[in-house]
Amino acid sequence: MSAIPHRPVSSAAPRIAKPFDWAGLVFAILLTLVIAVPLLVVATWAFTEVWRYPSLVPQKFGLRFWSQTLSRADVWEALFLSLRLTAVVTALSAVICLPAAYAFARLKFPGRNLLFLSFLASHAFPKFGLLVAIAGIFLHLGLISTFWGVVLIQLVGTLMLMIWVPVAAFQAVDRRMEEAARDAGAGPLRVFWSITLPQAGPTIAAAVLLTFVGTFYETEGAWLIGAPQVRTMPVLMISFINNQLVVQYGAVLSVMLWLPSFLALIFARRIVGTGAFARGFGA
Amino acid sequence: MVGLTLVALPVFLLGWLIVYPILSAVLETVFPAGENGARALSLASYRFFFSDPYSLANLQVTLWTTLVCGVLLILVGLPIALYLRFSQGRFAAYVQAMAIFPMFVPSIILSYALIRTIGPNGTVDLILNALGLPKLPTPYLTPWGPVIGLVWDNLPLTVLMLTAGLGQISNASVEAARDVGAGPFRVFLAVILPRMANSLLVTASFAVLGIFSAFTLPYVLGPAAPEMMGPFMDRTFSDNNDPLNALTQAVISFGFCLVFGLFYVRSIARNQEGRP
Repeated sequence: MSAIPHRPVSSAAPRIAKPFDWAGLVFAILLTLVIAVPLLVVATWAFTEVWRYPSLVPQKFGLRFWSQTLSRADVWEALFLSLRLTAVVTALSAVICLPAAYAFARLKFPGRNLLFLSFLASHAFPKFGLLVAIAGIFLHLGLISTFWGVVLIQLVGTLMLMIWVPVAAFQAVDRRMEEAARDAGAGPLRVFWSITLPQAGPTIAAAVLLTFVGTFYETEGAWLIGAPQVRTMPVLMISFINNQLVVQYGAVLSVMLWLPSFLALIFARRIVGTGAFARGFGA
Repeated sequence: MVGLTLVALPVFLLGWLIVYPILSAVLETVFPAGENGARALSLASYRFFFSDPYSLANLQVTLWTTLVCGVLLILVGLPIALYLRFSQGRFAAYVQAMAIFPMFVPSIILSYALIRTIGPNGTVDLILNALGLPKLPTPYLTPWGPVIGLVWDNLPLTVLMLTAGLGQISNASVEAARDVGAGPFRVFLAVILPRMANSLLVTASFAVLGIFSAFTLPYVLGPAAPEMMGPFMDRTFSDNNDPLNALTQAVISFGFCLVFGLFYVRSIARNQEGRP
């Protein structure tokens, strides 16, 4: 009668019964409650027009606050400023760090290990204290509240990631293929372009993307050096919270701005998954 | 020579924007410029910090937050890492994805999310109310607000680093202990814990370095007074326009984190030795 075929409930072959993963279920439920629920709440607020206490669900859903948020001039200014700033910082960081990463991975020169280590060691200082110390320098240089002051302070934050991850990528390239290409008469640039880069490329692209996203959301340096004149997106969001503006503005911005982060999540899985990060941090 | 040329620019940035500011902060606070611009040895700003009740209260709440977060992170992160290391259960992939997820949530979005969730009339209140339970006092704008945010934010790195540490323990050693009749707790205490002492300490150091001078989460979720060192330094520098005292606070933060910083450096140095 029914068009849906019956599926066999279980295969006939005898199986060793595995105990049910109770611990996993408990962790899964707890983590979902703690990690996912706050984010879902924000997402809900973004599409809410009326949500009065103590109703469990919003009284009225709608997109009214999207158009309100998107018609604010300060939002667009901050967005374009953030994009410009992030593009400049990421490009500078790549230009400065990628050749250095290649040198650290492949070339022999005096002081190589010590210099490489010193990049990792820059994380041995409490970050905001370091930012204040940098701000002390910028005060003498007149860089406070300037675009380039924020560029410089954000650039510092990208150095480690942009060197550490590409170094690992260059080290993972198959040396025998390079030697084979050289034997076949390829010059060093040609070997780099045709053999080294395609192999190291995806990881480096992920590092660039992570740097872009990380810089886009960089809040502390931008706040300390830039605010209130240089208003990036995160700085604008802080002022929305401080000024207790309509809840939905922040929620809409959160949802909108989380998209690039989500893309980074997808692209970066390969790096994070291998534990390269954990090793980079000394675990 | 080519190598040195290629690394020259980032090394210069490192020297100019990390090493020099730190040294300069120490010099400027120990030898502050006087009225006529001449520098003389004076520890007045440090004496002020350590005799000012407000500064001391801020330092105290920072130390308290760091300690509580560090303990909570290990208490939450270690069971998750142990589960991920030893389980092939059906939920392992999901648990790992969830535990790493906060890495991709910027702290400013997290702040917003937490205000709406645990803040006054937030989701937790709504649910308690719907269940007919009394409201809980909200942790928002109390020292517990930053604690919740910072634990949330630092969980992924803690889990990743602890899982990496657990990865170095061989299955054989765990099975050997089980074969001679050791229960799970005994295996944990006698086999696992001694072997991961190092990665526990690195994880804790890294968490301490991140939490001690955190800014965004304490600024948004924490009380106005006493405040943690991050917001305190920011206010001293920007609102009070008082770089001398802000730099003093920064140097004092460096001092408190020195042990953890050294431990972290020693550990990455040891990690590097085995590499080409």
